[in-house]
Amino acid sequence: MMTDLLKVNNLNYKKNNKAILKDVNLNLTSGKIIGLLGENGAGKTTLMRLIAGVNSIPEGVITVNNVSKKSEIKQNVSFSDQLNGFGKNTKIGDIVKFYKNVYPDFSKEKYLEIADYLGLEEDKRISSLSTGTRGKLIIALTLSRETKLYLLDEPLSGIDSMSRKKIISSIIRWKTEDSTIIISDHYVTEIASLLDDVIIIKDETIYQVSSVEDIQEKYHLGVEEYYEQVYEGSVTK
Amino acid sequence: MMEYIDNIPIYLQIKDILYRKIISNQYELGSQLPSVRQLAVQFSANSNTVQKSLKEMTEEDVVIPQRGKGNFVTEDTGIVEKLKTHIVTEMFDATYDKLHSLNMNDTEIMNSFNNYVKQREVNHEQGIGN
Repeated sequence: MMTDLLKVNNLNYKKNNKAILKDVNLNLTSGKIIGLLGENGAGKTTLMRLIAGVNSIPEGVITVNNVSKKSEIKQNVSFSDQLNGFGKNTKIGDIVKFYKNVYPDFSKEKYLEIADYLGLEEDKRISSLSTGTRGKLIIALTLSRETKLYLLDEPLSGIDSMSRKKIISSIIRWKTEDSTIIISDHYVTEIASLLDDVIIIKDETIYQVSSVEDIQEKYHLGVEEYYEQVYEGSVTK
Repeated sequence: MMEYIDNIPIYLQIKDILYRKIISNQYELGSQLPSVRQLAVQFSANSNTVQKSLKEMTEEDVVIPQRGKGNFVTEDTGIVEKLKTHIVTEMFDATYDKLHSLNMNDTEIMNSFNNYVKQREVNHEQGIGN
């Protein structure tokens, strides 16, 4: 069943008087994998932080699973946190405990399955992790919350190809049927085969929401090519 | 990681690969296909996409879903034979059109194909790569 999962109405966001996002409207259903595409600085991370309830919403309304209060949204959205808040000596096991305490929907069982698949060891300290392992840990933690909306902010950025492969398969493997996963990236080729739909951000707003299939059928282009042409201004909707 | 052609819907490409596996008997007649999730992981694709490929294969009577059990390859040899003819024809279509565009007539195409097959046999006997 496809049901409304996320609604964004007339969202505006400014930073130091500069518009980051203007008049953003979105309506997403459950059960999809969606790519959030845009250049560096286009506002992808900002939009994710707003949807996740990390940043306050100055103007506009965001509704996830019928709740709109920031604190409630936070409990309904699993956002891939960059682990910056943890000290460098923190062990993986302690981060897992922290997640278990903070998020009632965190499933330790699910975490252990994913961690086993990705080869994450509980007694390793954050400071000893390679970028690839760190990326795997973030994915395992994010996917282990049992909720309907997952936001993965550039999960493959800066990560070696073997780890990227593992991260991609773990997304496919552990995605539940009725959940929606939004993946942001500025580099599309590798995730293109995963995506049902894409959201393209351009000029501080949502340029287009389209299914990948429609893009292939209508423009005879792959997602990556289409997205590049959108930025060059050589295609129109 | 799977390599897909960018501008062709992935569900069609997956369908094509599965059909080739059925024709070449890697998936035997009447056998059970891997689960949607297993296929999704194998193809690095979304479950919805795999689902869509299977739906079309079901509509084309090549795959028979069994409630609660999963998806099975048809036991009807006629259907698989037809599928094979279809795919082989598609491959010939493409080659034939390309050769025609080089101004070759049917006799020339037949002759050069015969020569090609003979050459392949010779190469094979001599152990030269294929």
